[in-house]
Formats: sequence, structure tokens, C-alpha cells
Amino acid sequence: MSNKALAAGLGNCPQCHKLNVMHAEKQACSRCLTVFSTRKPKSLEYTLAWTIAALVMFIPANIYPMMVFYTLGKPDASTILEGIAIFIQMGMLPVAIIIFIASFVVPLSKIMGLFTLMYNAKRKTQLTLKQQDKLYHVVEFLGPWSMLDVFVVTVMAAVVNLGFLTSIEVASGITYFTLMVVFTIFAAESFDPRLLWDNHQKYHHRATKTNQEYNNKGEQQHGK
Amino acid sequence: MRNNSVVNHMIACNQCDSLLPKPILSEGQDALCGCCGAMLFSKKKDAINRTIAVAIAGLVLFFPAALLPIIGISAAGLFNDASLIDCITILINSKNYVIAFAVFMFTLAIPSVRLITALYISSCIKFNRVKPSLLVFFRSYHLLDTWSMVHVFFMGVIVSMYKLSSLADMTIDGGLFSLVLLLVCSTLVSVTMDEHSIWEELEKSLEQ
Repeated sequence: MSNKALAAGLGNCPQCHKLNVMHAEKQACSRCLTVFSTRKPKSLEYTLAWTIAALVMFIPANIYPMMVFYTLGKPDASTILEGIAIFIQMGMLPVAIIIFIASFVVPLSKIMGLFTLMYNAKRKTQLTLKQQDKLYHVVEFLGPWSMLDVFVVTVMAAVVNLGFLTSIEVASGITYFTLMVVFTIFAAESFDPRLLWDNHQKYHHRATKTNQEYNNKGEQQHGK
Repeated sequence: MRNNSVVNHMIACNQCDSLLPKPILSEGQDALCGCCGAMLFSKKKDAINRTIAVAIAGLVLFFPAALLPIIGISAAGLFNDASLIDCITILINSKNYVIAFAVFMFTLAIPSVRLITALYISSCIKFNRVKPSLLVFFRSYHLLDTWSMVHVFFMGVIVSMYKLSSLADMTIDGGLFSLVLLLVCSTLVSVTMDEHSIWEELEKSLEQ
């Protein structure tokens, strides 16, 4: 377990995965010339900033309408939740559930997941490493899929365009929704999963003396 | 010099940072991290030729996928259909520049840049014309991995078809078929591309 590249003074290039001897805090990879550090610098700070930005964007994305539906010239604007309510009233429960999960539950749980990951990388938690690992992969996987609703509205607005009879126009809520999705992807990108393993080691291997020494060494290298 | 040999015969897991001896794989095998189980690298069969074939097919398919109408609806004698390019121009005309930019980047620009990069690197290696600029190309390929969203766009088309089917009569056009094939190609490129051996190949050729 304690056989980590960081402790050996080695660093893994994030782009081409080449192992490098670390001479400095930041250096260029000997193979692909990417400038990198052993751990992403200020990873948690950046992740926190992007996640908060995404959370802020989530509010206007739900307040403002996503699209405006014109029937015989009469506009009918609906937000995400209103749209779902309309589907329930129409008796289309399966569609309502799909949209509710894709455009409300998933973005919110992604933001919650990012907060959980950041907490896990910093403090002692009840979650096992396997669960943390799974959570990270789920958050990473969900990234592009949150764009689903944006693409749906885009296609609907382009196709439903029958002049006076019916037409759909894109409304401002979708812009905030897009920004929120992009911000959560940035947040997941700036999170360094190796911090979870570092933190796990810090709390679970305190008992033995050798590991304590190893940890102290690791922390000193961090501080440099 | 001693350090150098360590660096070339060891590998660190990208997920948990464990230091492991680098295994020598035969074609079709994967190397997994012994500590956390993450994929370290894999050696793929006939990677260069397959990548070139799939990337050319994908690039050709881009034109019908973007220009042909995807779906159309008709109601009360009126008919309208839209292609991917139409979606973007309608967004620009209605002054939704942020979404127009996002849709353009995620469904057209980034997937096509990825395919072009894959084609360029693979053909350079095939014809032994490795130059330092390939490093920049291949780095950008890695960077753009998360941002290619053709598969999500396709799912979006499916969901809107489901929504529209209750609203009006719907027709499916060539754009949708091209989109499916493009999706297959852009996914296959990630499957056939052997990133680990391309990096090693580049390193070896550039050292000489």
C-alpha cells in the first residue's frame, strides 16, 4: 500500500502517463512536454470554486423558462419543473420521470457528489475507498450526459417551427443550464482522485510507526 | 542513469499513484492496477491501420450528419425538418450565443478535431514521418476526450422524437442514420487507438 510514486520522488504525467523523476514542484514531462505537478496544484480549491459556481447557476436554470411553446400565436413558457408538471397532468408519467431524473436529479446529485468527494479528500469519513472510487467515476461519467436536456431543447426548437400553428423557441433558462453543466465538468476535471487515496492512507495507517514516518515524509513533500 | 532505467521500467497508477513494475503485454491484453483495479494501459491489435480506417469513415460521415435533416414533423398540411446545422443557425438567429457555441463545439468542432488528430497521428506513424509537432496534436487529443458529446446529442434526438411523436406526424431522415454511423465511428476511434504504444513510439522516434 505504501508504495506510492510520490514517496519515491516520482511523478506520473497526467497526459501521456509517463513516469518522471521529479526535480521541482512543477516540471515538463520528458516525453510529451506537458508541465505538471505530482498532484494537481490547488485541486480542492479549484473544484470547490467550480462546484459553487455550478450551484449558483442551478438557481436561474430552474427559475427561468427553458423553452416557450407557441400555439396559434399564444406563448406558453415553462421552466424545468413546470414542464414536468405538465407531463404528469397529461398522464405521461414515464416521460416525466425521465426528464425529472435527467435534468433535475442528476445535476443536483452531481453537485452533491462533488461536495462529498471534496470532504472525503480532506477529512476522515465513513465511506470505504471503494465507494469513494465509485462515486468519483459516476461523477466523471455523468459530466457530458447532463447536456442531454440542452440538446433536446435545441432539436425541439429547430424542428417544431410550423409558423403560426405551433413553434418552440429557446428561452434564457437553458443558457444558465448549459453554464452549470460546463462548470460541473470543469469541477470534476480539476479534482485529483489521488487525493482520496492519500487521505485514506493518512487516516488508516496511523497505527504503525513506519507508516507514520512515511506519512510525515509525504506531508513534508507536499509543503515544499 | 540509474534513475532513468527505473523511470522506463516502472509505471504509476493514474488513480491511486501506486508504483508498479511495467508489464510487457502481448496483443489484446490489458494491464490493471493491483492496488485499485484501474486500467493502466492495454495493447491493441492492429491499432494503427484500424484507427486510420475508422477515422476516415468518421470524417466522411460528418458531412451528411451535419447537413442532412435529422427529423421532420408535419401537422395540418405544414412540414418542417431540421439538420444539425439548422439547430445551430436557429440558436444564433434567436441570439442564444452561449448555447449555439456549446452545441457547435460539443457536437461538431471537438469530435471532428479528435478524428482529424487520430487520423494524422496514425498515418504519420504508419509512414514513418514522426515530427515534434505530433506531441502537441496528441496532447490535444487527450484533452478533448471529455468534451466530445455526439453520443449525448444522439440521445437528445431520441428523447425529442419521443416527445414529438405525441404532438405531430414525424419523419426520420438521412441525417439520423449518418449520425448513428458517426457515433459508431467516433466511439470506435477511442477503442482502436492504442494511446500507450503511440506515446512510446513517439518517444522512441523523437529521441533518435
